[in-house]
Amino acid sequence: MKGWPVFSFGLLCLASLGGCATSSPETLRALDEARAELLAIRTEPAVRLSAEKDLARAEESLARAERFSGYLGSEDDVLHYAYLSRRYGQIAREHGAQRQAAERLVELEKERDRLQLALSEARLLNAEQQGEWLEEQLLGRTTTETERGLVMTLGDVLFDTGREELRSAATRTVVQVARFLRLNQRRVVRIEGYTDSQGDDQLNLELSRGRAQSVKDMLVDLGVDAGRVQVAGYGEAYPVAENASSQGRARNRRVEIVFSDEEGRLGAER
Amino acid sequence: MNSARFFVALLLLALAGCASDPAPHEQLRLTEQALGQARAVGAGEDQGELTLAQGKFEQAGAALTAGRHREARMLAEQAELDARLAEEQVLTQKGRKQVAELKRQIGALRQQLGEL
Repeated sequence: MKGWPVFSFGLLCLASLGGCATSSPETLRALDEARAELLAIRTEPAVRLSAEKDLARAEESLARAERFSGYLGSEDDVLHYAYLSRRYGQIAREHGAQRQAAERLVELEKERDRLQLALSEARLLNAEQQGEWLEEQLLGRTTTETERGLVMTLGDVLFDTGREELRSAATRTVVQVARFLRLNQRRVVRIEGYTDSQGDDQLNLELSRGRAQSVKDMLVDLGVDAGRVQVAGYGEAYPVAENASSQGRARNRRVEIVFSDEEGRLGAER
Repeated sequence: MNSARFFVALLLLALAGCASDPAPHEQLRLTEQALGQARAVGAGEDQGELTLAQGKFEQAGAALTAGRHREARMLAEQAELDARLAEEQVLTQKGRKQVAELKRQIGALRQQLGEL
């Protein structure tokens, strides 16, 4: 009988360690929440596909929490592993959401590309229709067909006296020419500058060339390949009117744009 | 009698074992890494989970210094997952933003197509 107190002490110890049924409400709630979390995310296919590892860890942690809930004095551990389980579950859920977003992105990118293609095709069609109109406008009204080819005249009013820079009123015409050249990729142009007979011959030559160059610069700015635009300055040569009157001189101060044919054949320089 | 004595000794040893958890240096390193990673993807202090993680990480460090190894390990483990969740939340948000941006682009394209 000597061993009896020791034995009973040992029994007490075992009983206390095995006091599972007496878990606190707090631990029970933590366990329930962790179980519910897992159950909820297991039903999400995106989570199952993309977060297998975190889902497995969530289950592992929950199992651990449940094991600890079988021992008295392990409340901390139960709460801890239930917490970890829920966190793993939440991380798994984020992975699922990320996967869904990524899949959606792929679909949307395809849709966007299709729309962009459709839009550029629609614009091209529009531009072709517009191009015909432009061609009529440019080549029909403001140009004359001479032995040099199709010639469009930008009048004197497009420049200030003695200045090379284009006036803003000229810009619209040059923009139209640029659009026309964009739509007629094989055509090339030569821009020719002319002045009246007043002033120094050499200065007039430079001025006429400078003005033609301004038009070219602007066309290039508007996206026309520089190689398609030639420049020439003729000074007071080739007048289209008498230099005796101011009206005549005004007509002589001009820039002419000579268009090539559709195959890009441009008449020779004067 | 001998076996009883042995049993008691074993029990004491087991209970003492709790107090002598190894110092969780490795876990604290992992936690710090997770915090760094969360910040690297753009998680900010306005995110509850990151603040939580930072707080627990600091507490874990204090517990480690005080020799409360078990407490330090638990806090650090929780902080690691808090930080990871914060990181994943940011990544999810980024994905959703990209989706929203693409939808906006598509809407604009549709409108332009309609205007032609």
